[in-house]
Amino acid sequence: MKLLTANRLSDGVVLWYAKDRWVEDAALAAQIDDAEAETLQKTWAARETEVVAPYLIPLTADGQPVQREHVREFVRANGPTAGQTAFDTSRSFHRAEIFE
Amino acid sequence: MYVYDDFDHAFVADRNREFADQVQRRLNGEITEDQFKPLRLMNGLYLQLHAYMLRVAVPYGVLSSRQMRRFAHIARTYDRDFGHFTTRQNIQFNWIKLADTPKILEELAEVEMHALQTSGNCIRNTTTDQFAGAAKDEVADPRPFAEIIRQWSSNHPEFTFLPRKFKIAITGAFKDRAAIRVHDIGLHLKPTGFDVHVGGGMGRTPYLAPLIKTGLQPENLLSYLEACLRVYNRYGRRDNIYKARIKILVSALGAEEYSRQVEEEWARLDTTKVDAPLAVVDHFKSFFPDPAFKGGFDAEALDRAKTADAAFARWVRNNTHAHKRDDHVSVTISLKPVGLPPGDASSAQMDVMADAAEAYGYGELRVSHEQNIILPHVAKGDLYALYRDLDGSNLSTANVGKITDMIACPGLDYCSLANARSIPLAQDISQRFEDAQLTDTIGDLQIKISGCINACGHHHVGHIGILGVDKQGIEFYQILLGGRADENAALGVITGKGLPAEAVPAAIERVVRLYLDLRTSETERFIDTVTRLGRETFAEALHEPA
Repeated sequence: MKLLTANRLSDGVVLWYAKDRWVEDAALAAQIDDAEAETLQKTWAARETEVVAPYLIPLTADGQPVQREHVREFVRANGPTAGQTAFDTSRSFHRAEIFE
Repeated sequence: MYVYDDFDHAFVADRNREFADQVQRRLNGEITEDQFKPLRLMNGLYLQLHAYMLRVAVPYGVLSSRQMRRFAHIARTYDRDFGHFTTRQNIQFNWIKLADTPKILEELAEVEMHALQTSGNCIRNTTTDQFAGAAKDEVADPRPFAEIIRQWSSNHPEFTFLPRKFKIAITGAFKDRAAIRVHDIGLHLKPTGFDVHVGGGMGRTPYLAPLIKTGLQPENLLSYLEACLRVYNRYGRRDNIYKARIKILVSALGAEEYSRQVEEEWARLDTTKVDAPLAVVDHFKSFFPDPAFKGGFDAEALDRAKTADAAFARWVRNNTHAHKRDDHVSVTISLKPVGLPPGDASSAQMDVMADAAEAYGYGELRVSHEQNIILPHVAKGDLYALYRDLDGSNLSTANVGKITDMIACPGLDYCSLANARSIPLAQDISQRFEDAQLTDTIGDLQIKISGCINACGHHHVGHIGILGVDKQGIEFYQILLGGRADENAALGVITGKGLPAEAVPAAIERVVRLYLDLRTSETERFIDTVTRLGRETFAEALHEPA
């Protein structure tokens, strides 16, 4: 299974693919079968006026990013772990951090 | 400071119009991301881990209060209310919208600023001594030459697509505060002319730049630089990004052979078409006059304030630097408060610093490569009032040059190239050493943290350098000892295996405690003790069990 993520072209905000739409909350990201994920990634790579640099995040059996991607994807999904006014994504969505 | 003429205004306005059109065409889908990416990078716009990041050039780190206020406005209006001052003496805004970028660049141009050449394989912002024009130990002011280099290198048709990015640093003081020997070209302005060091750098393969020429006359500076760049542009490796910097070429050829080729190239150049004649050099010098210094001060009043307020006395001791006039000092405003990200400033803090510059600093500020802000000229009689103004905005941390005055790159919290986080580690270390008395007892000690091998956090030249690495998704930190970027520049050496983040502050404390035990006197600095006893003595302490 994989997650599909990208940045929105107009403002660079990190997006996650949730079945049939893009969302800002990583907790809503859909876990997608590998084959379907590959197709979706190619489809969205061509739709450049909406998103930039879509890529797939491989998941382990328990839905976590594979180990080598873990820190990066944790930070990307939850916002910076440091910063005096850093955006705390998880708090803004009223939920706990994901990929812990 | 330098003031734009009509040409400069038109040049920047043209580039901004061009980029605004490129942004609009990208948003409309008329150009692809592959086509757009090099164009946005030429205008300082990156796509980072969370959003677009705009890197704005602060030419040789010199800022007016008006420009600082504009940064505050941009942070407040277009970003998340803060900016990050960098080791290239620039500022980065981390949460910029692509669609806002043309408007931001337009607003920057109004205060004679831009983001050109803050990315790409071109000549980047020339950096210099943050105390230029003010320091007591200065031989000559490097700023006019930094400005000449800036104008020569802006949009230089021959050097816009070099094998790799190119960084020049220049100092005119006895003490090297510009880290010239870890730059592609390091210039040391002396009474006899420039000493020219070429082929230094950090990153994956660190080198100290060898000296290839002495006594280069100021009026020949540009043609000689042009010859240096030409040899590099011709023979620098374009086949391998990791071997593309000039340091690799100079190392491969040897300094003597590289120097010979530069001389040969220089002899072929029609220098009259390149060099700035002395009259032009003098013209540029005229942009950097001394301010109308306030005369005299009441030394007894300053002493009374220091006696009455110990925190102020400590701030004066740690955050002021000797000025060429005895009744003035240069003041460093630390952007390293305990527990907060190094180099960050909120919009409110930027406004406070701009106010302080206007009230006490003749309207001038500097950014240091150590990620602090400097008021280069402050009358001693104004110090206590300045301190109290800064104190209310968390800008009076008295730790300049001390263990908590760390350089740290943005790391994996922001940067798409990073392997590990830098900022949280810096925060942990600063909290471990938050005790002011301990910090002062330790004395001068520079910790420099990079979140990847690209070394934006200068870890190779930290007295203690820290390099973040990724091992199968887990962050580890390699510790280097014995680096320094001053006039006795040396590269740090990695000591043993990487440590997990939670083990690093304690490991550093063990090393520091050992230093306190082993130093011969309170005046023997950490780096001196490491040099005297060897890194191995301290490496063992780093890696012993807690």
